[in-house]
Amino acid sequence: MRLKIKPEKLLLAALIILALPPIQHFLEQSMVTHMLVQLPALTVIGWMLGRALPENWSNKIAPWNRWGITGMTFVVIIMAYWMLPRALDAAVSEWHIELAKFISVPAMGIALGISWPQLNPIAQGVLKLEFWATFMRLGWLYLDLPDRLCANYLLSDQRIMGQLLLLIGSAWAIAWMLRVMFGIRIINT
Amino acid sequence: MRTFLATFFVAISGVLILWLSTDGGRAFTAEEARRLEIRENPRPVPDWQLQNQDAETFTFQDWHGYFIVVDFIYTSCPDVCLILSGNLKNLQKDFAAEENSDKLRFLSITFDPEKDTPQRLKEHLSHFSADFKNWVAARPTSSSQKKAILDFFKVIVIPDEYGGYTHSAGYHIISPDGKLVAIFGMEQMDELRAYLNQALEGQDNASEN
Repeated sequence: MRLKIKPEKLLLAALIILALPPIQHFLEQSMVTHMLVQLPALTVIGWMLGRALPENWSNKIAPWNRWGITGMTFVVIIMAYWMLPRALDAAVSEWHIELAKFISVPAMGIALGISWPQLNPIAQGVLKLEFWATFMRLGWLYLDLPDRLCANYLLSDQRIMGQLLLLIGSAWAIAWMLRVMFGIRIINT
Repeated sequence: MRTFLATFFVAISGVLILWLSTDGGRAFTAEEARRLEIRENPRPVPDWQLQNQDAETFTFQDWHGYFIVVDFIYTSCPDVCLILSGNLKNLQKDFAAEENSDKLRFLSITFDPEKDTPQRLKEHLSHFSADFKNWVAARPTSSSQKKAILDFFKVIVIPDEYGGYTHSAGYHIISPDGKLVAIFGMEQMDELRAYLNQALEGQDNASEN
């Protein structure tokens, strides 16, 4: 027998759990969990909500979002915003910026979930490559910078973050290469 | 057409938000933001009570009429504070010969008032062979005042992995009329010197008039 719970409810529950002060505090204690756990989790929740959207909603949005262009513009802007070190700092120390994060990042996920599948494959390729390049660039930057970017995080945290970004970026590059050169599919992107 | 309009709207408002939230592309980190904010909007420093290395209490009000260079420290600090205070020592030495040096004061505020007793603050100053006449080390007199002071200067202190602290490091300038007017980073010693020179000269002209 399977429990019948609507996936939307499960996703909202996940969002609330992430917003619970102890969980939120725990994840924001370190730069690594803030950027590589909390933000991606919020995005994934949004993404899945976007995929689970009722048919008539998507039909209403569609004429405003042909080929997913409007949605992807939104995604790029929200991502750029949360890449600002001071935005991350402000989220830790000011509640209204934190609230903005808990709204804008899942909203970005929703836009991503709706728009990505409609996006032209070439545009998909460009964005994917750019996203990957951002991992490598930031990873290098974090390893190389002598100063802290975020006032709320330690330099050692920033270094670990840099290493992880480079590691994830490299793994991603290898997975892509295997697929392009040998047709081996490790991941689905 | 509707997609074009929607995209246009999202793009314009997005760029506007990014522009505003980086102060027009001038501040990307919280540290840059607080320096810029103070430069553009100097703020009057509230009249907190501090306790100095001789265990005497004083207030910022008592220092009216002086340019004050404030830095934040804790005396068991192994690295950054030593450089901060070392630079301050050099500054004190360099400005000692200047004409208006009696208008300049240095203040090191500890954010670890439990451990940093007046005794330890005194040791800290002696360590840098500071001239006690115009360099004072002090601690906040209550934890609520400590929080208020750190919040006012937007100094963020976080515990590090060695039982110490990592904190925003810089030199905060308070003008003779009691306003926080500028913040310089440790890498901006030359700018700080130039600023103080100019400020003290201006003071000279003001007193002549």
